[in-house]
Amino acid sequence: MTNTDQTASDLDIAGPSHSAARPVHMPGDGAMWVMVLGDFIIFGSYFVIFMIYRAMAPHEFLESQQHLNLNVGALNTLVLLTSSWFVARSVQAVRAGDHSRGLRLTYLGGLCGVLFIVIKAYEWTAKVAAGYTMPSNQFFMFYYMLTGVHLFHVGLGLLILGIVVRELRNPRRRRLSMVESGATYWHMVDLLWIVIFALLYVMR
Amino acid sequence: MSSAVSTESAARPVDPGARPAGKRDVWIVFWIVPAFYTAFGIIFFALARVMPPPRPDVTTDQMAHFFHAHATTIQIGFGILVLIVGGAGVANGIVVYHIKRMTVGSVLGYAYMGSLAVGALPGCLLVAFCFLTAVYRPDRDPQLLALLYDLGLLSYVGSLGCFTTAWFAFAIAILYDRNQIFPKWLAYVTVWQIVTEILAIPVFVSKAGPFAWNGSIAFWVGTVVFGFWLSCLIVFLKKANDLQPADEAPLP
Amino acid sequence: MTTAATRTTTYAWIALCAITILSWWLAPAHGHGEPVGPSMPITVAVIALGFIKGRMIIRYFMEVRTAPRWIKLATDAWLVVLWAAVLAIYLV
Repeated sequence: MTNTDQTASDLDIAGPSHSAARPVHMPGDGAMWVMVLGDFIIFGSYFVIFMIYRAMAPHEFLESQQHLNLNVGALNTLVLLTSSWFVARSVQAVRAGDHSRGLRLTYLGGLCGVLFIVIKAYEWTAKVAAGYTMPSNQFFMFYYMLTGVHLFHVGLGLLILGIVVRELRNPRRRRLSMVESGATYWHMVDLLWIVIFALLYVMR
Repeated sequence: MSSAVSTESAARPVDPGARPAGKRDVWIVFWIVPAFYTAFGIIFFALARVMPPPRPDVTTDQMAHFFHAHATTIQIGFGILVLIVGGAGVANGIVVYHIKRMTVGSVLGYAYMGSLAVGALPGCLLVAFCFLTAVYRPDRDPQLLALLYDLGLLSYVGSLGCFTTAWFAFAIAILYDRNQIFPKWLAYVTVWQIVTEILAIPVFVSKAGPFAWNGSIAFWVGTVVFGFWLSCLIVFLKKANDLQPADEAPLP
Repeated sequence: MTTAATRTTTYAWIALCAITILSWWLAPAHGHGEPVGPSMPITVAVIALGFIKGRMIIRYFMEVRTAPRWIKLATDAWLVVLWAAVLAIYLV
C-alpha cells in the first residue's frame, strides 16, 4: 500500500500516467510550479548580476566574504536541508494515508524554518554590531538583500506550511495536492538558500 | 479616485429586452485599462524620461541640465498625466469589481483599492509634480532642481509599501477564490511583484550599482516583472469579462 | 513507516548534508586571521557541488523524478543555465 506514486486513498490525483515502471505524477498543482519556475528565473537574474559585480571587484568581494560567519551559514544550510527532509517525508506519509504522521512531520519542518529565522537574526545582529551594514560596500549590500529577500520567502513558506497544517487537521479536507504544493514551495526555498550559501559564503 | 465609476455602472442591470454582448458597461471600463497604461508608458518612457530614470550619481549641474534638456516633453507628458491619472483609479476599480465576484467577499477588494489609492500619490503623481515644478521656472536655483530630482525619483522608484499591500490582498483573494475568476498562478505572479518591491528598498541608500534607483536589480528586474504582470492582468481581465454571464445579477 | 521511498529521501538528505560539510571545509571564512586567496579549482568544485545539490533537491525532495517531462526539462535547464553562467562569469 505504501507505493510512492500511487495514491490509493487520497481524493486528489494530479494527472498520473500509467506507462512506465514509475508512473508520472505532477507534485501539487501547476500554479505552484509557475511560482517555483518564475522565482527560479527571477532569483537567477539576481545571482547572475551578483556574479557580474563580483567580477568587477573580486578582491573586495573575497575580502568581505571572509567576514561572514561561515559556521552559522553552514549550520543554517543543514537546518534548512533537514526541514526539507521532514517536509518531503510528510508528503509521503500523507500519500500513504497516515495524516497524523504527516502533520507531525510538517510541524517539525516548520520548526526548523523558525530555527533558520532565529539563527539568521542572530547572524545579522552580529554583523551589524561588528560594523558591517548594507552601505558598507557592494558585497554587504548583496549579502543583506539576497539573504533578506530569501528570509521573506522563508516567512511566506511558514505561512504556507501553516495552511498545510490546517488542511491536514481537518478530516474533511486533507487534499494531497495542497500538501504537495506546499512542499514544492518549501523545497524551492531550500534550494535558493543552497545557491546563496555557495555564492556568498563558499566560493572564492 | 474614480472607484465609484465601475461599481456604480456594474450595479445597473442589463435590459432583458436588448441583445447583450457581455456586460457592455464593464467592457467600456475594461478598454480604459490598456488605453491608460499605453498612455502611461508613452509619458514615462518617451516624454518625461523617467523610465529608465536618470542616474543618481551625477552632479547638481548635470541634474539641472537634465531638466533644461527635457523641459518641453516633461511639461507635455506630465501635464497630460495629471489629467488622465484617474485612469489608474478606473483600472483598479475593474479589478475590485472582479474581486467582488469572488467567493472571498469584498474586504480584500477594498484593501486593494485603498492601498493603491494611497500609493498613487507617491507612486506617480509626486514625480510628476516635482518635475513640473522643476521646469516651471527656467532660472531656478540648481540646488533646488537637485532636490526636486531626488524627491521625484526616490518617490517614484521607492514607493513600495502601498503597492506591496495591494499585491498581498490581490494574491490572497485569487488563491482563496472558489469562483475561479482569475487563474491561481496569477496570484503567484503578483507575489513576484512583492519580491521586486523588497529588492527596491536600498534605493534610499545606494547611489550607484544594481540597487540604486536606476539599478539592474532595484529598477530593471522590477520593471520587467511589472510589465509581465500587467500584461497577464489585462489578458485575464478580458477573460473574466468574457466569461461573465451577461445576465449575472448586479453586485451588492 | 520505512519504505523504499522514504529510504531514498533519507539517503538524499544524508548526501546533501555531507556535501554541505564538504563545502564548509572548502570555504574561505574560517576566521583564522590570515586572509585567504582566490582559488579556481575550489570555486569550480563549489559550482559543481552547487549544481549537484540543486539537482538532488529537485529530483528527490521535489519528486521531479516522477514528474511530467516538461518539469524535468525546465528545472534541468534552469540549473544548467544558472551554474554555467556563474562559471562563465567567474572564469572570464
